[in-house]
Amino acid sequence: MPSKKSLHIESSGQLCIYCGACVGICPLNCIYLDETRITFDEKICTRCEICVKACPVGAIEIG
Amino acid sequence: MGQDRRTDVLVIGAGPAGSMTAKWAAKHGAKVLMIEKRQEIGSPVRCGEGMSKEWLGEVGIKPGKWINVEVEGARIFSPSEKVFEINEKHAGNEVGYVVERDGFDKQLAIDAANAGAEVVLKTAAVGILKENGKVVGARVKQFGETFEVRAPITIGADGFESQVGRWAGIPTNLALKDMDTCLQYRMTNVDCDIRYCDFFLGKVAPGGYVWVFPKDEGLANVGIGVQVSQIKTMAEARNYLDAWIAKHPGYAKGKKIDMVGGGVSISPPLKQTVADGMMLVGDAARMIDPLTGGGIANGCIAGKICGEVAARAVEANDASAAFLQAYEKGWRVRLEEKLYRNWLAKEKLCTIQDATFDKIVDALQGVKLDKLSVHNILKAVHEKYPEVTKEFEAFL
Ligand SMILES: Cc1cc2nc3c(=O)[nH]c(=O)nc-3n(C[C@H](O)[C@H](O)[C@H](O)COP(=O)(O)OP(=O)(O)OC[C@H]3O[C@@H](n4cnc5c(N)ncnc54)[C@H](O)[C@@H]3O)c2cc1C
Ligand code: SF4
Ligand code: SF4
Repeated sequence: MPSKKSLHIESSGQLCIYCGACVGICPLNCIYLDETRITFDEKICTRCEICVKACPVGAIEIG
Repeated sequence: MGQDRRTDVLVIGAGPAGSMTAKWAAKHGAKVLMIEKRQEIGSPVRCGEGMSKEWLGEVGIKPGKWINVEVEGARIFSPSEKVFEINEKHAGNEVGYVVERDGFDKQLAIDAANAGAEVVLKTAAVGILKENGKVVGARVKQFGETFEVRAPITIGADGFESQVGRWAGIPTNLALKDMDTCLQYRMTNVDCDIRYCDFFLGKVAPGGYVWVFPKDEGLANVGIGVQVSQIKTMAEARNYLDAWIAKHPGYAKGKKIDMVGGGVSISPPLKQTVADGMMLVGDAARMIDPLTGGGIANGCIAGKICGEVAARAVEANDASAAFLQAYEKGWRVRLEEKLYRNWLAKEKLCTIQDATFDKIVDALQGVKLDKLSVHNILKAVHEKYPEVTKEFEAFL
């Protein structure tokens, strides 16, 4: 199986402002935001990159 | 809490829409539990804090300490920064306040609590309970423990992030063109005009606008919304905003004291907002005005209707989708036509070039409108530049 690209959410607060924009747009509903903790479900995520565009500050990177 | 429990109406999310729903359901006799995942209602703020005021009486909100500034009007700036001013005279009470949003949200939660609703913080819904295809409550998490709250009526008032609707199978997903990604700085030492909320249109913010909402002399919320489908690179929303600020000396000299962001839906109204045992309200139901991006008023107006219907459903012991149609119909009668019209107008605006924006605003110089509406604006533009309004014939 080809391995998926990696998705990284800079969630330590250096970039992420915990605004929830990515959570609301993810078509698979797989990003979770709890106050200042943001995580995503590695298995469900298809690396569609939609959240990358939706993030106003560039805290999400796919490589 | 800490163990399984029951209530009549479970409201998920204590934003304006949730608090309004909780208040009106409780006022009409229902036992209401409102849960909020944050530890402080209204904070952190994700809002430009501008709102009209004509609707406040309708939903029973009294002006309070949460008002920062009462503005005289709004100014629309075309790409070449020609200005069209909308003042109270022709906008009626459509223009309004710049508010302290956390104070506003807290006041609404206080009103809900005073009406009899129970409000519980630091408690997140993590799933819904379904039986025979009906929603019968939610699984919630508090202090690391998960338990069930059973309720004949569950309300999804969980804002833009909106999980509740999707868990229940109501399609609330947004297309890229149906969302603006937003970023805002609170800035001090800026040359804002305390009499106006300012909007800057065109390429400075594709598919959205830059806003300057004054909080006080020299203090303003300076923000941007950009349509996600027009974003090409990472952090583009921030880059657009920084570029706008750099080009405006009155703001470039300012200092940032706060930064917030978020998503705003700019979609047409949802087809469905109720299911057996549940209703969606506010941003969770994509009720934001797609043209202005304002969602506070619509969330509160729909919240009142939602709360009243929830209480009636409890009284009638009927939480079926058929009964809850009263809400679906109620909010649509009140809001849908304008939402749909403004969505159409927004779709058009997203396609027009800067030169056309300039012409439109130019055509409006010195024009007196009795009432502000897309229709009246286009009529005025039509007189000076009929070729510009050709594309907009559907609105005329
Ligand atoms: C940057 C920005 C600027 C804006 N500017 C304006 C403006 O100037 N004027 C205007 O009218 N509108 C503005 N809006 C839109 C406005 O903020 C929203 O329309 C409004 O907040 C909607 O209220 P709501 O109650 O539906 O949702 P929210 O205010 O988002 O409230 C939802 C609540 O639910 C909670 N919640 C979410 N998930 C769960 C869960 N699983 N369990 C428990 N609780 C949960 C959240 O913590 C939150 O408190 C702006 C939006 C953004 C992002
Ligand atoms: S890449 Fe796509 S699927 Fe994965 S988290 Fe982002 S929006 Fe969701
Ligand atoms: S959109 Fe970006 S800043 Fe906002 S919560 Fe997601 S990762 Fe963080």
